[in-house]
Amino acid sequence: MKAATFMVAGMLILGGCAASTATIRTVPDDTPAADNTAAIANATANDAAQNPRQALPLITPEDAPPMYTYDPWERMNRFTYRFNARFDEAIFLPAANEYRRAPAPVREGIHNFFANLAEIDSVVNHTLQGRLKYAARSLERLVINSTIGFGGLIDVATKLKLPAAPTGFATTLAKWGMHPGPYLVIPLLGPSTLRGGVGFLADYGTSYGINAAGFYRGDVSWGLGVTNAVDQRANVGFRYYSSGSPFEYDRVRFLYVRKLLIEDQGLRTRAPVNKSQAEEPAGK
Amino acid sequence: MAAQTVAPPPDPAAGLADSGSLADSAGLRATVFGTPPQDLARLPDKVPLSEINITLPWRHPVPDVLWFDGKLRVWLSAQKKPAPLAIVIAGTGSDGNTAKLTVLRAVLYEAGYHVLTMPSPTFPGFIVSTSSTGVAGDLMQDGRDLYAAMVEILAHLPRKIRITDVDVLGYSLGGANAAIVKSIDAAERKLNVHRVVMINPPVSLFSSVGRLDKLFATTIGNGDAGVELLYRKLYAQLANLYRASDRLEIDEDFLLSAAAMTLKTDAEFSAAIALSFRIDLVDLFFVGDLYAKTGVVIDPDHPPRVSESLDSIQRVLRDRPFADYYTRVFAPYYLKRRPDATSASLFAANRLDIIGDVLHTNGDYYAQTNSDDLILDKRELMWLQDTLGSRIVVYDHGGHLGNLGDRRQVADMLDMLAGRWPRGDE
Repeated sequence: MKAATFMVAGMLILGGCAASTATIRTVPDDTPAADNTAAIANATANDAAQNPRQALPLITPEDAPPMYTYDPWERMNRFTYRFNARFDEAIFLPAANEYRRAPAPVREGIHNFFANLAEIDSVVNHTLQGRLKYAARSLERLVINSTIGFGGLIDVATKLKLPAAPTGFATTLAKWGMHPGPYLVIPLLGPSTLRGGVGFLADYGTSYGINAAGFYRGDVSWGLGVTNAVDQRANVGFRYYSSGSPFEYDRVRFLYVRKLLIEDQGLRTRAPVNKSQAEEPAGK
Repeated sequence: MAAQTVAPPPDPAAGLADSGSLADSAGLRATVFGTPPQDLARLPDKVPLSEINITLPWRHPVPDVLWFDGKLRVWLSAQKKPAPLAIVIAGTGSDGNTAKLTVLRAVLYEAGYHVLTMPSPTFPGFIVSTSSTGVAGDLMQDGRDLYAAMVEILAHLPRKIRITDVDVLGYSLGGANAAIVKSIDAAERKLNVHRVVMINPPVSLFSSVGRLDKLFATTIGNGDAGVELLYRKLYAQLANLYRASDRLEIDEDFLLSAAAMTLKTDAEFSAAIALSFRIDLVDLFFVGDLYAKTGVVIDPDHPPRVSESLDSIQRVLRDRPFADYYTRVFAPYYLKRRPDATSASLFAANRLDIIGDVLHTNGDYYAQTNSDDLILDKRELMWLQDTLGSRIVVYDHGGHLGNLGDRRQVADMLDMLAGRWPRGDE
């Protein structure tokens, strides 16, 4: 046993010395023509939307939160970030790349299916946020897509001019005025905050409690959970450490929290900004 | 303008930022926003892609804090039939799969090439996995590292990929790298590089960078206060745009339209360009200081570990111009290892004219650039034109890389690669 271990170790070391080692793996095709068509469509849409309404008091540079981000759990977060990067590179991303070989209509169906299940949570949370218009829309979407959309596989509602407006408990907490709390990197999920983590657990709890179609308990829940995760991953363009930068953790944290704070301000204000909040360290 | 702040320590790089760049308003705008999608050359529906991760035998031990950069990662799109190979090198600080490389890959693949895209030798992932020094920015040294990596990569390609010819291209600094690679190959003959196309190359890396540093000082200012101020302005603008929109979430589309609405003046375009370059420089500086053990921001005896905060280091580096990298990391490192070198000779060795004779006489070197490219000044543009003669095309507009992938640039590039340049009809 020992001898075998030595031999394997020796071969690995010698192999490493003798020459370079390379792995070649096929990744999903580039689709430049389609990407460019989408870019043109977006540019046109953006040109059309160039006249924002501007009735609210403007946020001034002095209102901006400081560049520093509240991250008392940084040590743990950095380890989790590395764990997530390794897990993603070894398991999650390869699985998502395999999944992306499936025909686009199939993937779209799967994606719609999970988005439809998530509408239930959106109905609950839009209601809790007091945004009844959105709650009604999510409910309509749920009903339409579950029936004439074949159990959610086809997003008929969007074609009927009822676009998706997903939300969750983290946003509800934000709407209720809760601060994001410390930055938190959640294992497997990635960048979040304490509030985001609580929101995630609550969303899961809601789904588990309602247990729509029995999908959230028992053996079937595992299969669906994994498929959902892979589908989500396949729809995110982010690649860990494609920046190559030692500061990737810092930059992701910075951008993530700034995005969250701007969204929070939008949620709360689309009313005037609360000055005292803006002066605390970001994310606190 | 806040240009006249405290003078930086005297160094050879400072004086070279004096000559004004060629960029005008349109050039700056094109540099920031890139080629409009509707102006791009015809793109194929699908380009097959493989990712190659390679561990190179000469690699230095990988520092803990850069654990993810141990392998060189490049991308290959292979034709099914025998075909020429086009190797494309990214610009300063970039990896081997940027949006610009994706466009070049698409048009080259469509034109029948195998395409191999590579990171810049100034990309941290390249420095850690491939550089034999860890201190990037020396044109010849980076060229040798690139060349050695290319040889290794080609040795590992599956036999079924049959290569009939090898051409090398690059954009921005990658263009200069491509030319150096061919000049090295002329002696070593391991790749038999045929033609080279440089797209918006610098003539002198250091003076181009000096110009970007100056841009940073004039548009953003020195010290962390300048960066902070810019951040606050951007934050407020984004927040206002977001509140005025009906969106539930900030996504890429929102950011694109926000950028179009936020960046309007020359000063704002310049700040965006200067900032994006500075972010790359922060990485380059960090890695160089770590490898050269020059101790500017990293204690050589106690390099940071994975779990440690890098906040303070980042804050210091944000304020460091390239001139500091040159005088405190680059020059000390190379002067120690090259007994004959002086600071001035190191500087001169980073100009493209070290291969000026070859560029002038060898008909297989080509270039494309723009008359409003901010990384060149008048003298440098003239030098390129004098040296390459009919083998350079200078477009009126495009700034720095703001016309990469457009119909004309692509058509000319493909003609150059195929030896159909200069065209008879022009």
